[in-house]
Amino acid sequence: MLDLQGYGPRLIEGAGVTLQLAVLSLILAIILGLLTATAKMSRSWLLHRTATVYTTVIRGVPDLVLMMLLFFGGQIGFNALSDVLYYNYDIDFYINFNAFAAGVLTIGFIFGAYMGETFRGAFMAVDNGQIEAGKAYGMSNMLVFRRIRFPQMMRHALPGLSNNWMVLLKTTALVSVIGLTDMVRVAAEASRATHEPFAFLLPVAAVYLLIASVSEWIFARLQKRYDIGFGGQ
Amino acid sequence: MAVTPTPLEVRNIKKRFGDTEVLKGLSLEAQKGDVITLIGASGSGKSTFLRCMNLLEQPDDGELFVHGEQIRFKTTKHGREPADWKQVVQMRAKLSMVFQSFNLWAHLTLLENIIEAPIHVLGKPKKEAVEQAHALLERVGLSARANAYPAQMSGGQQQRGAIARALAMDPEVMLFDEPTSALDPELVGDVLKVMRDLADEGRTMVVVTHEMSFARDVSSKVIYLHEGLVEEAGAPADVLGNPQSPRLKQFLAPKY
Repeated sequence: MLDLQGYGPRLIEGAGVTLQLAVLSLILAIILGLLTATAKMSRSWLLHRTATVYTTVIRGVPDLVLMMLLFFGGQIGFNALSDVLYYNYDIDFYINFNAFAAGVLTIGFIFGAYMGETFRGAFMAVDNGQIEAGKAYGMSNMLVFRRIRFPQMMRHALPGLSNNWMVLLKTTALVSVIGLTDMVRVAAEASRATHEPFAFLLPVAAVYLLIASVSEWIFARLQKRYDIGFGGQ
Repeated sequence: MAVTPTPLEVRNIKKRFGDTEVLKGLSLEAQKGDVITLIGASGSGKSTFLRCMNLLEQPDDGELFVHGEQIRFKTTKHGREPADWKQVVQMRAKLSMVFQSFNLWAHLTLLENIIEAPIHVLGKPKKEAVEQAHALLERVGLSARANAYPAQMSGGQQQRGAIARALAMDPEVMLFDEPTSALDPELVGDVLKVMRDLADEGRTMVVVTHEMSFARDVSSKVIYLHEGLVEEAGAPADVLGNPQSPRLKQFLAPKY
């Protein structure tokens, strides 16, 4: 039988961290992705360039390296800033770089770049006549985005978005390197202490699989919802 | 006598695409109740001219007045563009366009298509917009299709639905961009009938069309364009009944 030897509550807590981390990172990644896609389609040279550099750098550097760079580098950067503020302006502040926030920021930042490409392709797949009709009826760019481009883009974006989410979910396992106690870290600790890796790693694998299965179901529902009106489905 | 502002006036519109000058200085004035048809061979610039009127295309030169209000332009490194997009958005809400390929919003039902802009652009209460939409659907003979999605409707139904969507804005001027060109021949009649009714009730319309019978019977003025210039313009009886230029004569001659 499944014997977690007292690690049960900590594993459940770890699973909670994993899930929260993944969901918050996803939200950040979607926001960054929409901004990146918009910047890449913009006429402004500066915006286009910035977005291109962002996606190129993120997609070309390993996630683990980026995570450590942002976490340790970010801490050093903040400390340097607070030193300057203290000595020069007598402003005293201290931010303890919270590992959870750092994890969300890093993963969100990484996956924002992938989402950017997904959204850009999806926006370009929307028929221009649909957008023109919005403009011709007096809609502002914001209204056209909210009422026409976004809902029509989603059906093209969802397959890629769901794929990115699955990868993101598994990437959260990397946060143990920056000291965050997610379920993988708890399981690794327990395995080392008890010399029974299967007893802890198999349940962890099962939890990932469960989250992934539920996600697939949710994405299938969303796909159905955004396919309405486009026939054939 | 009170002067009512001219619903739509454009002066000396010019437009080039790359090296090709497609509009070489076109003007048009639509008074209330006018039905102006623009005819000409493909490539004559009639659709581009119409799209300059609501600024879906940005003219390189010329002036535009909607309900007496002049649209302001500025010159940027991207070329000439409106100085105030808010003004453009308000102006477009006064002109509604019916497209060749209908462009009903695919993710919305017919009813939702009709109430979309009245609610979100004009700020009409939903209940009022829905009541109005039902009345308009009745009028274009589509009451039974209110909850259908555009993809479930025939081309003719979609175009009549698109006309209902245009009417829901209670527009100052309606712009029609080849509204029957994408339809099967047997569906053209229904759409033309709706348009004729609109003309009869005094709607101001600018229509790009290949339907010569519509131009002859319904319009108050016909403009024949050739290579971005007005070749002939006037009452339909004159322009279509007694064409002067050889090109227009050839354009109107039976093709077979």
